[in-house]
Amino acid sequence: MGSRPVNKRSVSNSSAGSSSGAESSPEPPVRPPRNRGVGMLIITAYGVFAVSATARALYQIIVHFQDSPIAYTLSGFAAAVYVVATLALARTSARAWVLALCAVLVEMAGVLGIGLWTVLEPDLFAESTVWSNFGQGYGYVPLVLPFLGLFWLLKHRPGRDLRE
Amino acid sequence: MTVMFAIGTAVCALSALTCWIMTAMRSHPADSSIVSLGLVELYLVAYGIYAGFRQSSGASVVGEGWEFWGYVLTALLLPVGVFIWAMIDKTRWSNLVMGVVGPVVFVMIYRMEEIWWGAAL
Repeated sequence: MGSRPVNKRSVSNSSAGSSSGAESSPEPPVRPPRNRGVGMLIITAYGVFAVSATARALYQIIVHFQDSPIAYTLSGFAAAVYVVATLALARTSARAWVLALCAVLVEMAGVLGIGLWTVLEPDLFAESTVWSNFGQGYGYVPLVLPFLGLFWLLKHRPGRDLRE
Repeated sequence: MTVMFAIGTAVCALSALTCWIMTAMRSHPADSSIVSLGLVELYLVAYGIYAGFRQSSGASVVGEGWEFWGYVLTALLLPVGVFIWAMIDKTRWSNLVMGVVGPVVFVMIYRMEEIWWGAAL
């Protein structure tokens, strides 16, 4: 993971005029947008969680809703947050950036809040949501993901990709 | 541990390793990464058929059939979805994106075995 990858598109853009490439373009090399490069990996992680959390929540709500309505409603909410975060991260508009930021912050509050709550009261939602015990059942990935997402969003604020 | 689970573990590990190595070696989606993803999908199809025969011959499931088949279906969709996403922008990182499939599918077949037999190992 050394230097930032120069993808084919930006190469062909900057060397479109001259074949030698000696003439430096007026603007510095274009950074890959938020949803490209390493961003694709973060979106993939969110996508995997969106799909698996949705599948799990659907199963819990359809088959076992009576057993623990609050926990399974929460499970469905968590799944919805992952779906919104995935879609918003994959889009490049300024509005999508704000939506992604909100989703990631809700996710962070969720994993920290539910995580703490399940540690203090282990019988409450034990193992029934992605966020129980700080996402222990999912190798703590749910705990790391919102911090990664937040870092990525703050690094790629709207408008900066073009100017910087 | 069942033979099917051992094969799955090997296929997933091989796919993940291939994709990770290719992330370092290629600045485009490598053929070997794509083939390794195809192998994971092929394995999952075989696992699904095997589980279908097992169930139709009346074998008992420790956990719930619903949950088991939910996992099989989600796992089958995963390599396809990730492949489409990885091909949207063909860079070095496409390989790393495809490298997500191996570990995730491994965890899923671990859960499937756990649901079916009560324990995966």
